[in-house]
Amino acid sequence: MKKHSVDLTVNGREASLLVEPRQSLADALRGELGLTGSHLGCEHGVCGACTIIVDGDPVRGCLMLAVQAQGADVVTVEGVSPKVGLSEIQAALREFHGLQCGFCTPGMVVVLHHLFSENPRPSEAEIREAISGQLCRCTGYQGIMNAAKAVAARHQSKNV
Amino acid sequence: MTIGKPVVRVEDERFLRGEGRFTADYTLPFMVEAHIFRSPYGHARIAAINLDAALALKGVHAIVTGADLPEGLAPIQCRIPTHGDLSPYLQYPLARDKVRYVGEPIAVIVADTRAVAEDAAELIEIDFDPLPAVTDPARAIEPGAEPIHESGNLAGRWGFDLGDVPGALSEAAFIASDSFSIQRHSAMPMETRGLLASYDAGRNLLDIYGPTKVVHTNRNMLAAMLGMGEAEIRMIEPDVGGSFGARGEFYPEDYLIPFVAMRVRRPVRWIEDRVEHFAAINHSRDCAFHVTVAANRDGIITAFDVKLVTDMGSYIRTHGDVVPSHAAASFPGPYRVRNYRIDAMTVMTNKTPTGTYRAPGMFEANFARERAIDRLADKMGIDRAELRRRNLIQPEEMPWYVGTESVKRPTIFDSGNFPLIMDRALKAYGWDAPFEREVNGWKRGRGLCALVEPSGLGPFEGVRIEVDQHGKVQIFSGSSNQGQGHETILAQIASEVLTVPMEKIRVRHGDTGIITFGGGTYASRTAIMGGNAVHSASVGVRQKALDAASRKFGIAVEDLDLREGAIWHGHRNEPVVTLGGIARMLMPGNQEILVSPSAGNIPDNDGLVVTSYVRGVTAGAAVFAVHMADVLVDPETGETKVERYFVACDVGRQLNPLIVEGQIVGGVVQGLGGTFLEELAYNEDGQLTTGTFADYLMPNVYDVPPITALVFEESPALTNVLGVKGVGEVGPSGVGATIGNAIANALATDTGLNKLPLTPERILQSTGFGGLQ
Amino acid sequence: MKPAPFDYFAPTTLEEALGLLKQYGSDARVIAGGQSLVPMLALRLARPEVIVDLNRVAALAGIAEDGESLRIGAMTRQARALASPLVHEKLPLLRHGLENVGHPPTRARGTLGGSIAHADPAAETPMVMLAYRATMVLAGGAGERAVPADEFTLGTFDTCIAEGEILKEIVVEVRPDEGTGFFELSRRRGDFAMASAAARMRLDAAGTCIEAHLMIGAVAPVPLRCDAVAEALVGAIPTEVRIREAVRLIDLDAFEFDNPEISLAYRRHIAPVLARRALMQAASRAGDLRQ
Repeated sequence: MKKHSVDLTVNGREASLLVEPRQSLADALRGELGLTGSHLGCEHGVCGACTIIVDGDPVRGCLMLAVQAQGADVVTVEGVSPKVGLSEIQAALREFHGLQCGFCTPGMVVVLHHLFSENPRPSEAEIREAISGQLCRCTGYQGIMNAAKAVAARHQSKNV
Repeated sequence: MTIGKPVVRVEDERFLRGEGRFTADYTLPFMVEAHIFRSPYGHARIAAINLDAALALKGVHAIVTGADLPEGLAPIQCRIPTHGDLSPYLQYPLARDKVRYVGEPIAVIVADTRAVAEDAAELIEIDFDPLPAVTDPARAIEPGAEPIHESGNLAGRWGFDLGDVPGALSEAAFIASDSFSIQRHSAMPMETRGLLASYDAGRNLLDIYGPTKVVHTNRNMLAAMLGMGEAEIRMIEPDVGGSFGARGEFYPEDYLIPFVAMRVRRPVRWIEDRVEHFAAINHSRDCAFHVTVAANRDGIITAFDVKLVTDMGSYIRTHGDVVPSHAAASFPGPYRVRNYRIDAMTVMTNKTPTGTYRAPGMFEANFARERAIDRLADKMGIDRAELRRRNLIQPEEMPWYVGTESVKRPTIFDSGNFPLIMDRALKAYGWDAPFEREVNGWKRGRGLCALVEPSGLGPFEGVRIEVDQHGKVQIFSGSSNQGQGHETILAQIASEVLTVPMEKIRVRHGDTGIITFGGGTYASRTAIMGGNAVHSASVGVRQKALDAASRKFGIAVEDLDLREGAIWHGHRNEPVVTLGGIARMLMPGNQEILVSPSAGNIPDNDGLVVTSYVRGVTAGAAVFAVHMADVLVDPETGETKVERYFVACDVGRQLNPLIVEGQIVGGVVQGLGGTFLEELAYNEDGQLTTGTFADYLMPNVYDVPPITALVFEESPALTNVLGVKGVGEVGPSGVGATIGNAIANALATDTGLNKLPLTPERILQSTGFGGLQ
Repeated sequence: MKPAPFDYFAPTTLEEALGLLKQYGSDARVIAGGQSLVPMLALRLARPEVIVDLNRVAALAGIAEDGESLRIGAMTRQARALASPLVHEKLPLLRHGLENVGHPPTRARGTLGGSIAHADPAAETPMVMLAYRATMVLAGGAGERAVPADEFTLGTFDTCIAEGEILKEIVVEVRPDEGTGFFELSRRRGDFAMASAAARMRLDAAGTCIEAHLMIGAVAPVPLRCDAVAEALVGAIPTEVRIREAVRLIDLDAFEFDNPEISLAYRRHIAPVLARRALMQAASRAGDLRQ
């Protein structure tokens, strides 16, 4: 099948892909660009481990075809991580033991970054809704919720 | 001091940044990909296979079927003791004449990409002669049932008969009796399985990325199957996205992927997809109990009389019948009941083979026993907690010999003050506090469950610790890690003994190339076995360093002290030499020694390196736990809302409270999944009907109540130096029972709620669909 | 789980898209948000030769007022609709329905038209559109045609969209003086319903019901219109007692779905409960509007 070339922005840098139409965006990011932080846990859109930001919205990387990303602005977990160390949200997830095996973690990090970028002081209900499409088999979500609530509370007290 | 502190995990940073390396993140030059063609039938004969069209597809390198396997290849062996001979039920890596479950491997396709391999799979032509699928274990053992194997569908029948059960039943003042079933479900880690095998034909070396849990054991099994030397195969555990008991069994793919890599002479990667995973990973739980529990007038439980039927699926795998075996051995739980009888049957069906899932046999037995005890309490009209309290094993009766055994090890509870923990738990939860029975038309109920989780089974674990010239410490552990936090806790133990900060310690694990022998990670054993091995090796390093410093500087060992990663002269309170300095001194061929030999120098050495194996822990460390929960039930629809969940347990000693709490909370949520949502359901043709995440429902954040873990360090384990007990399985173990009891309490019903999962429909059925309109 | 090969086109105008559909006929399939189609491709349950992507047809997205109606472009993202002040103000039932559709990342990409055209019997948006008596505008080679929601969905995953046609927009008449109610029961939040109910109601100054609609979803291939229930309420004060009586008129014989975990009997049990709750909510909100 004919390959299509796709030009897009990934984590702030221009990138090109040469892909078959059947290839998912998540597959292409991992296989063509080496961005293996986005994980494929189900490839049918339920688990959320491949969640990335496309044109400002969190989407399932496995439910978008790479060819559909022509001209798109894509941000992955690699893109929301600082050059070294951890972002505020990442540090909170560590502090509150919001991860164990780490497989769902990139998706969680991405949706929480998106949430806080839109709303620095989300309520508990808003946090819950934001991560509701992300399955985690290890933590029982409690550490993740506590981490996000702590970040929101810090923002509240510092008036971020 | 780091042991016992809530140290943040050393492995977290790489995961949070997306820099974890899981199997699918590994590639090798000239790598090709494998896809496994699996049986679409639950039960069928294979009449003919035609690969011509598939082999002709561009990009296909090879297709291997059962006919290509070496002549005389043995089936995959069961590696733990079983009840009776289960060898007639073992599985070959590829089916030859007959398939026995949907998903059974029939062929391995190797192609340039996974997509092309899947294209080729559609071109494989197989003539199947379908046979009747056997999916109901009760029917499977009826006369005339279609035999799945030549030896028949009843794989085993065994049991225990302790004390005088008929006598106790005949004298009982109260008897409760009912059936309880636990549905087929499984671990369902977020990462599927995967393997990358690379064969160096010239050197006859095989490297395999992706194995986990028990890499040394699996390496040895593979070496035997391939006829290779054990050290010629290296299994390397990458980061692993959860296991919960399901990984580490020697699966057909563990043979097939290395086998095809050796054939095509290129690295072969196989990444299981989620739909494959549903059919290929071991299933678990699937069993039914009939329980009769008897008590006298004083509320003393006098007997348990139990029947257990377990659906084993279509083959006996690596873990044999360990699940029903554990269930049977531990059924009496934390109670001093000496009259106990169980009649257990293991039955073959045309379903995916079964194995272990977190708290194997225990989640199941606890559900049946604790629901039955609630029934008994209701009949007697006494408080449910009080009935349990009256029957707990007393501290002075420890160690407690249940009188049973599982996998040829006697069931022993080493230590514990069960009544004390129970009282504290009840008080902390407010068990006796009155509560509103109804909220906006929803009924509220409260439930509890008491249980014992044996943890940390032997036979051994190994660790080598190396300190380098810069004072950096490398721990090479025979344990493995699938997300539990072992890199952190093992580093904590070494940090404490060696007085070296966590940042200077690295833990490596799950790699047969770094340590000769390893036990692995299962049965909540790593804190105990791996942890004590690290402790022992660290003590060895400390001793070696002190001895070396003593000889080098002519100071008595008693006057030396290890502090802040250096040897100090105790009296003068000054550092003498760092651990790095000692490591340099102890290097083989040390220049200092060779150039200017003197009396102060120490003999040539083999480095500041210590290998330590801990061996032979005969009895598990018993964790006593009490679960409690409040649940709201909508009596019109059967909908539920768990308002709060509470676990109290005595873990002996905590290495890291953050990780202990995380294990409990996460475990409870898995238990909630098994209680309310998850089911691997089959139709009568043997087709799995819940084979995607859209049908197999796991808890999301909306399904999770606030969960409190109250952790005690009351009764240290007597079987290990650290005094730790395993905490991996107390979370899920009591959830089905606790929730079932709470719902029964809410609805004031003494029928139903004996079949998991507790769907809204089943919850409503327990009240006879009452209250309509 | 990799899709079978296909060709891909990304037209930017409706005409171009219709031209591609004409050219490739039954080999072609349109992709909207892809939240149902891509999993089906990955599972190889759907295997079109050609995918025509509507995501670059800008004219298909957006929500606009048109007199007494709202016109919703088929490619309007579920998340955009859910956040739309127009939807909040004028189509509360759609908002309640969308709140139960998937999760933020699937709603960000999933479209209203895609969900409606997919016609999953347990999906929320088709039922909401039935409850609203919405009109589906289909574009084809021969021009446009308007189809009432009642005639649009034919069965499970089956609609009246003909080969070469595209669902262009949904037109919903806005009734500012009505109250609405929506209830569904699913095993896990965000998943498809075991049963669901959507209700609309208008009251006169005296509190008498002058118009009512009730739909029950997830019990049969097409959501059920419960006109008998609605008729029984018109002319009455919708008290709880009246509503309890009225929901007895739900045609339980029209229920079809029967699964091991969610039996027909259970659906017949809970659907009237959900219907009652939806009607009570609609009546209460309609009452609030009256004040």
